[in-house]
Amino acid sequence: MMEAWLAALTFSAGYNTRLVTLGSLLLGAAAGMVGSHVLLRKRALISDAVSHATLPGLAAAFILIALMQGDGRWLPGLLLGAAASAALGLVAVQAMSRHTRLGEDSAIGAVLSVFFGLGVVLLTVIQAMPVGGQAGLSGYLVGATAGMLASEAWLIGGMALGLLVALIILHRPLLLLCFDPEHAWTQGVHLQRADAWLLGLLLAVTVVGLRITGLILIVALTIIPPVTARFWTDRPHALVMIAAATGALAGYLGVTLSSVHPRLPTGALVVLAAFVLFLVSLLAAPRRGLLARLIDRYRFVQRVHCRQGLLALARDEAIFDPTTLRILHRLGHIRRDGLATAQGRAAARDAHHEERLWTYYRHAYPEEAARLGTHRLDPISRLLPPDLIDELERRLPPEKPHE
Amino acid sequence: MSGAQDPADSPLAIQGLTVSYGERLALLGVDFVTPPGQLSAIVGPNGAGKSTLLKAALGIQPRVAGDLLVRGRPLPRPPRHIAYVPQRSSIDWDFPATALDVVLMGLYGGLRWWQPTRHRHRHWARECLARVGMEAFAERQIGRLSGGQQQRIFLARALAQEAELLLLDEPFAGVDAATERAIVELFRTFKAQGGSVLCVHHDLATLGDYFDHLLLLDVEVVADGPVAEAFTAANLQQAYGGRLTAAQLARLLPVSEASRP
Repeated sequence: MMEAWLAALTFSAGYNTRLVTLGSLLLGAAAGMVGSHVLLRKRALISDAVSHATLPGLAAAFILIALMQGDGRWLPGLLLGAAASAALGLVAVQAMSRHTRLGEDSAIGAVLSVFFGLGVVLLTVIQAMPVGGQAGLSGYLVGATAGMLASEAWLIGGMALGLLVALIILHRPLLLLCFDPEHAWTQGVHLQRADAWLLGLLLAVTVVGLRITGLILIVALTIIPPVTARFWTDRPHALVMIAAATGALAGYLGVTLSSVHPRLPTGALVVLAAFVLFLVSLLAAPRRGLLARLIDRYRFVQRVHCRQGLLALARDEAIFDPTTLRILHRLGHIRRDGLATAQGRAAARDAHHEERLWTYYRHAYPEEAARLGTHRLDPISRLLPPDLIDELERRLPPEKPHE
Repeated sequence: MSGAQDPADSPLAIQGLTVSYGERLALLGVDFVTPPGQLSAIVGPNGAGKSTLLKAALGIQPRVAGDLLVRGRPLPRPPRHIAYVPQRSSIDWDFPATALDVVLMGLYGGLRWWQPTRHRHRHWARECLARVGMEAFAERQIGRLSGGQQQRIFLARALAQEAELLLLDEPFAGVDAATERAIVELFRTFKAQGGSVLCVHHDLATLGDYFDHLLLLDVEVVADGPVAEAFTAANLQQAYGGRLTAAQLARLLPVSEASRP
């Protein structure tokens, strides 16, 4: 089995598999990019409504095609039907949230269930019809790339490529829209149009992904990559790019794995691949991953002890905490017998001065200081602008002598 | 009361602006010509429509009636010569962006999709950050900045646009004294270079020190003129519905003004 997977990974398992792998790579990238913008726009839930609303259109299209040509499996027609009913679902959500007192999430829940239920009913109708191709329909629910025709793979790959191009063209307006819609307007971004584009691209990604991940799981492919990417960066463009790469990687791994055996569910494998990438990022990402955070926490505790120890030194107080003593000694601030070294005295003076500055800042600007509270132990030159530090220094009250 | 301002010079002239939220009137028939090259303040009680005025002027808020002019011609969409600094509270500070990223966003309106962000754009963005004293914080995530620092970033974004009119919504609210001084300094430099500022201001006490021109607003225009002329007890009482006590008026106005009817 491993050999079969390796062959697929290196694009040497046959023409069809190569095409499908390439298509799913592109789809994963497009899904990751669209998902980033949807997530940043705080409308992640709407992806669920869109994907579930594709079912009735898909089934209805199948019936129509089957009545015309005996076998309902014609991908372009099916995707068109899915897109049409998903678009209708989106319109229904917008209309409901705008003209009734329901919030958007209630509207999404309502539309999602009604459309999906209707689709399920149509599916049972299809099962009773004397036509061919019904068994393949379940592939649109959970994704099944086995038995995909080359023409279908071309269609999907081409559409995914088109989506990527559209996303690259729109990446700045979408970013402006997600961060600050009012400012975006002053930069020439037409808000409703940009929102419509975003939802339209989401719809397109959903429809294109129907065959590969299925409608139930395409949501995961749009949401997991950007969440994964968030562990690696704080910058918006990098987030979108990393999400695209993660989505592409998930698509690549999932599809190649499912090509090994015709009955393996593609969608589930793609989503599992995405999840594994997420898990790895959660644990191992530098600075934001769990491991990095644990190390930071450890270092933070060290800094607290060091700082408090230095302050005690500055005030000529005795230090009793063994951990503090150990840390100060290790840093070279005190000698074995607990007396401060020259280095330690200098460090103690600095710590004392910073403490006075900070206390004064907290007294003068309590709200601001509260906001920065978590970074209390950072050097003050890294926290505040230089002119503010100048002012604090100038206005610092004279030190009261110790009793 | 109102100086006869010529709309032909003004970077933003508002005529007959009426805005309503459903059945509730936010602004009614507001006429205002932004005096070019001056620092103007919009002042009024809560619900007076001050923020609405700015948003409607920019087209963010749809209006029921009214004309918007730039030097006598209709306001283009988007008005590239106007930079807008919104209220800080409307932003999601968890958004993944550094201070530099936010300032760069001020340049997006002038870039087409095939034009990447070049070194000179980043250099200019850093210069704008330097002008607000935040160059050391360029790589800092915005959520980790204090209120005053966030306000400076927004200002830097507006400066990056090289606009001739700055529209600000309560820029001094909740900022430290150093930031307040930095903003006032920035206004003065901007004015010296020929720019104009129109700003919703919340603090009557500093009005006379910081601004040249005053628009007193309470859904309708109460007073419109140079601060020395428009900032009177009568106008204030009219705008604030008689809610200001004599003691408050005495604190806000020069002694001769407060005792004037």
